Amino acid sequence: MAGTLKQASAFTITPHKVSVCVLLQVYAPPAQISLPFPFSSVSQHNRLALYLLTLTKSCDGIFEPTLDELITQLREVGGLLNHWLTDHLTNKLASLSSPDDLFNFFSDLRGILAGPDTTVMDDDQISLDPTSNLGVYVRRCLLAFNVMSFEGVCHLLTNIGAYCKEALTSSAPYELPRSDDFSNAPETLEYENMDLENLVFEKVNAELESRKRSYERVSFHNHAPRALFGLVEDINLTAEPKLKNVDKNMEHSPFSQSDKPMIVDPSGENFLRTNWQVQGYLLEQADLIEKRRSSFSLNSFESILKQLQKQAPELHRVHFLQYLNSLYHDDYPLALEYLHRYFDYSAGTEGCDIVTSTTGSNSFGRYENALLCLGMMHFHFGHPKEALEVLTEAVRVSQQYGDDTCLAYTMSAICNLLSEIGISDTTGIIGSSYSHVASIGTSLSIQEQLFVLLRRSLKRAESLKLKRLVASSHLAMAKFDLTHVQRPLLSFGPKASMKLRTFPVNVCKDLRSCSRLISEFDTESELMITDGAMSTVWLENLKKPMGSTVFIQDNGSGNIRDSFRFCAQPCSVPASVQQLVGSSYLVRATAWETYGSAPLARISALVFATCFAESSSSEDVALAYAKLIRHIAMFKGYKEAFNALKIAEEKFLSVSKSRILLLKLQLLHERALHKGNLKRAQQLCDELGVLASSVTGVDMDLEAEASLRSARTLLAANQYSEAAAVAHTLFCMCYKFNMQVENATVLLLLAEIHKKSGNAVLGIPYVLASISFCQLFNLDLLRASASLTLAELWLSLGSTHAKRAVILIHGALPIILGHGGLELRGRAFIAEAKCYLSDSSFSVIDNPEVVLDPLSQASEEFEVLEYHELAAEAFYLLAIVYNKLGLSEEREEAAVSFKKHIIALETPVDERFLFDML
Amino acid sequence: MGTKESCRMELRTAIRHLSDRCLYSASKWAAEQLMGIEIDPSKYTPSHTRFQRGSSSIRRRYRTNESTSTPAAGISYICTPVPDEDNEEMDTDFYLLAKSYFDCREYRRAAHVLRDQTGKKAFFLRCYALYLAGEKRKEEEIIELEGPLGKSEALNQELVSLERELSVLRKNGTIDSFGLYLYGLVLKEKGNDNLACTVLVESVNSYPWNWNAWSELQSLCTTADTLNSLNLSNHWMKDFFLASAYHELRMHNESLAKYEYLQGTFSSSNYIHAQIAKAQYNLREFEQVEVIFEELLRNDPYRVEDMDMYSNVLYAKECYSALSYLAHRVFMTDKYRPESCCIIGNYYSLKGQHEKSVMYFRRALKLNKKYLSAWTLMGHEYVEMKNTPAAIDAYRRAVDINPCDYRAWYGLGQAYEMMGMPFYALHYFRKSVFLQPNDSRLWIAMAQCYETEQLNMIEEAIKCYRRAANCNDREAIALHQLAKLHKELGRFEEAAFYYREDLERMEDEEREGPNTVEALLFLGQYCKDQKRFEEASMYCNRLLDYTGPEKEQAKSLLRGIRLEQSGLPATDVEQFPQ
Repeated sequence: MAGTLKQASAFTITPHKVSVCVLLQVYAPPAQISLPFPFSSVSQHNRLALYLLTLTKSCDGIFEPTLDELITQLREVGGLLNHWLTDHLTNKLASLSSPDDLFNFFSDLRGILAGPDTTVMDDDQISLDPTSNLGVYVRRCLLAFNVMSFEGVCHLLTNIGAYCKEALTSSAPYELPRSDDFSNAPETLEYENMDLENLVFEKVNAELESRKRSYERVSFHNHAPRALFGLVEDINLTAEPKLKNVDKNMEHSPFSQSDKPMIVDPSGENFLRTNWQVQGYLLEQADLIEKRRSSFSLNSFESILKQLQKQAPELHRVHFLQYLNSLYHDDYPLALEYLHRYFDYSAGTEGCDIVTSTTGSNSFGRYENALLCLGMMHFHFGHPKEALEVLTEAVRVSQQYGDDTCLAYTMSAICNLLSEIGISDTTGIIGSSYSHVASIGTSLSIQEQLFVLLRRSLKRAESLKLKRLVASSHLAMAKFDLTHVQRPLLSFGPKASMKLRTFPVNVCKDLRSCSRLISEFDTESELMITDGAMSTVWLENLKKPMGSTVFIQDNGSGNIRDSFRFCAQPCSVPASVQQLVGSSYLVRATAWETYGSAPLARISALVFATCFAESSSSEDVALAYAKLIRHIAMFKGYKEAFNALKIAEEKFLSVSKSRILLLKLQLLHERALHKGNLKRAQQLCDELGVLASSVTGVDMDLEAEASLRSARTLLAANQYSEAAAVAHTLFCMCYKFNMQVENATVLLLLAEIHKKSGNAVLGIPYVLASISFCQLFNLDLLRASASLTLAELWLSLGSTHAKRAVILIHGALPIILGHGGLELRGRAFIAEAKCYLSDSSFSVIDNPEVVLDPLSQASEEFEVLEYHELAAEAFYLLAIVYNKLGLSEEREEAAVSFKKHIIALETPVDERFLFDML
Repeated sequence: MGTKESCRMELRTAIRHLSDRCLYSASKWAAEQLMGIEIDPSKYTPSHTRFQRGSSSIRRRYRTNESTSTPAAGISYICTPVPDEDNEEMDTDFYLLAKSYFDCREYRRAAHVLRDQTGKKAFFLRCYALYLAGEKRKEEEIIELEGPLGKSEALNQELVSLERELSVLRKNGTIDSFGLYLYGLVLKEKGNDNLACTVLVESVNSYPWNWNAWSELQSLCTTADTLNSLNLSNHWMKDFFLASAYHELRMHNESLAKYEYLQGTFSSSNYIHAQIAKAQYNLREFEQVEVIFEELLRNDPYRVEDMDMYSNVLYAKECYSALSYLAHRVFMTDKYRPESCCIIGNYYSLKGQHEKSVMYFRRALKLNKKYLSAWTLMGHEYVEMKNTPAAIDAYRRAVDINPCDYRAWYGLGQAYEMMGMPFYALHYFRKSVFLQPNDSRLWIAMAQCYETEQLNMIEEAIKCYRRAANCNDREAIALHQLAKLHKELGRFEEAAFYYREDLERMEDEEREGPNTVEALLFLGQYCKDQKRFEEASMYCNRLLDYTGPEKEQAKSLLRGIRLEQSGLPATDVEQFPQ
């Protein structure tokens, strides 16, 4: 009912809990020596304990397992003992027929707990430490039973009856207690219903004995589970996961993957797990939905949630999951509905049922969280205007109620929004609400607003000590610094007085401080989530199909392997942190790409793909793959790149379409250009342009790239004036939107256009401007390629400039050879050879290798790239040199290759598979 | 419709049938209607007519359309034969025992007694007893199983076996209409709404006097389409049903028309009076509602049903003593009725004692968890107490019980607006306006939301005000606001239009206030700017009647007008070409 707080934890006794208690009694019977009766080895004993531990912790569903499922799992765990265990369990449960039996059972249960004063554990004595996980579990059961009313006991009794009956009907064989000895029941399932039992018995028994002996040698570390798992019992869940959206940036990253099937028992008595197991389940599912939405079917998950809602109408977090579910299935009205419902009920304060009372919380509720989420939702659905409106309201409300945390998150959300979707005029919207920004003046461009906001949100996050937010702000800063110069260009070209440049050092610093986050989380661990997840994984392993047979035959090692896997999951870093750190590596890769170090970019991408792919969104993973494939294309040619692309496409089947599709278009375009298939190239260009304007608004970067590519295509078709016109408009656009970094490329392109059209003199100023841009923006590789173009321009001005050109080329060669791709290297080699050849003071006959080496290198590289035009040129030059040297055989060979490439260039073959790929 | 006498005969038999089968509330309803049929006063002594005197006076006052009482042409009412009782000698003794057990609420015992009886009556009573036993157990279990995360779903354990048994009988064709009613009930509980609908229709078609069956059927008609698709044979009971169904579907005028038509026969039925009051309440005709309820209480002083609505009316009219009197009366009658608690809650709310008021609403909700108006009213109380989260929670619960409750949506919007989240609140206002598009208050609330300084979306606000002005805005806020907003936006022509409208309205209603002054001043200025000097001076002269700074402004305006009229005669001619 409204306004009343529910008691903190829900722990009611259910038949399943009684079963666990029965098994606990088996595990630790009162007053027994080290190895209690049915167990034949220590490892067996431990395995049961581990199993019980996972039962109390795992969060893989909302309902407790039925007796049937429990028995199935016991069969895996119990190994040799499975029949004894199941029989014992079912007998014990069946024997509980009156309320008094239950009373006796629970008073017996008390005996398995060690006294409170036994601080030193007797090695031989197995008793549960009351503070251990299992001990606490037993104590909670006892307490819950003691506070139970008589009606409750009656209900429990009927429920136990139903619980057993269900198992009876579905799996009769286990119910019948075996009259003969059941401590040595045969191991494999096949024997169960056969009368062969006694025949096989002798043989099996002997075998068992020998095996047992061998297992016993295996010593096991966690005989006393509390030593390993003396875990914190009161788990505090922060509200963090809810806000994680901000960090995750609402990835659109569906991911085709077969998740575990969600089997929901539609009928019969179901009991919810303990409260925090359910919460853990919900958290995990929330994580999963955000990571890969396609693995969730809208309806099946919805039905689970509906069920949960029916069972626990006061568990409002369900609504949030419903919201997420509909959000990631793009159901706008439903998402809106659920979001509002969730926040109406929870007042934004519900992280879990254990509400951590942070300093900011007050009796007014924290509805600003609702606004934040609503803003993110609008963002997700591509309503930037509404999103901004809502987020500004969130800023206002969180200022009003002094909720700094939410304010910080909201600001970073606004930053995200601004940087993702460049809304043409946000002035006024931000200005009206955010007074600090307003005071700066609304004439600022969007980038400047963004910069100011970023700065402020970073500062705020730092002062609030929100580690994740600090890290993600650093990341956003790094992204911003990467491509934005600090001051707007007021006039063409740089001025000395203005600090017009990028700061790689800042980017580097930001990225470093982002990665530092992971070390901070080493010490801090969110036990519940990881614990629950681990338990879930352990139980999952049981369910694997290979389980039943392999397990039993290979019992001992199976034990060890699994328990080790269980203990050896040191991952205490929350997934969200991992994701953040992962994306810092991605930004690092992008940074190196921009600054022009291909190997470092590749390494960063590789680190991401190997270390963080698991925890990251598929969007990010796709981006990393795209980067790696680009690298392959640049250094190994298109054939390999397309092979890799095929793999990637299968991996990201249809899901993160845009990223991979974009890459494919880029590669195909480049390839078409190189092969001289211009019609195709133009077509691909147009497709790229279409991608640029998506639902969420016009992607300026993509737009710029599309027109850059179309200018290139026109250039390749020798339509110089058209190409120049496109390049000019592009330059104007980039200038208008302060995309100076892109302008370096555009200027270089203009220089190339002039070079190709034969106006070398006109080209030189452009290339010089480009070079100075590159210098300021630290674009080393682009600068090298600009110097190469400059050298080519000089060269085309006449042989007198060959010396100057060769000096330029030699200056650029270290970077080109170290970081450049095949094309750049080949071009550099050809240019170098041409310089020598046109230099009158150079004679080929004296040192032919100076020319021959680069030329043959270039020809090889262009052959790999299938760049017919330049390959032909290389072969042409080779043939000339061979001719001069008098090597007619080689000359002929080169000439043949030349002819081949020329023909290929002039008659572009429309290869079928190109179309198949699209 | 049959004659009054035939109705009377039918009802008398029906009451016997219904109470024989322990369908008490249906028989109560039938008996009430029986007494509601107007008796020819000449035939009876005054003591008989006393009961009806008051009610007929209501009718005299509010009977607007006499013609509605005659049946519409073309409708032929079928005459359903009154079934004979099966007087099987053998089971009567068992039946009598079972019925006495049933009357003592020992349902399982009653069912047990009838375990081997085969008569239709015995069969029905056995099943009905089982059903009620299951319901009783369910209620208990709901309380027993109440967990920290809310109540677990408790089910009536008897439903499955009852459904099995009843469906067999229906297939055999040996089920009677009461059995069908029970079958429909069971199906509805199990969530099989479509079949339940069919079965209930069968039941009411074969035995129309069982009001229980009709009301179950009505609760299944959640849309007008389902209602229209029902294949019901014509009987005067159908009119009762339709009237009630129209009411639930918020078709208040249709519902009212039906009830007025029914009054032709059942002229003094308290039930019908109460229903008419309900419809009038939703049309916000509080005066009439009050009169009806006063009469009702005079005839039936111990009535608790529907009295919560009366208390709402008294609350709205701020009748302290009447409300307290009503609260006292229902408290003495039956304090553990949700309605009683609600009335007391309303009383405390009116007195400004919101904590106590919440306590009584809470009690009402304890008694009936799905008591919609209590949730909403409690929300209002929390709003008063500035406990917004609790208010939002309460409203949200109301909305989740019935998503068509526009008051709760409105309350949610208001609560969020109070917290300074107007944009967020808009979502809720939109919902409420969607459900009740003809309520000017909702449109005005939404417009005010748009108008807040945070949003400042004037265009949208204007659109909302325009809607409000179109749907009979009693407080006349919309016209004034429209005028003001247009003035702010510099659209003087529109502003003048709305000011004029507003002025006319105020004249009609003989109201005066700051708005009048504002309108007059603007119009004077505007007309002067438009060179319509006569009009302008008319407005200014009117302004002179008021005190305050406006008077001086009016004087200076008049002076200016005279100056312009005399100084620029040329433009004057142009302005008014003869």
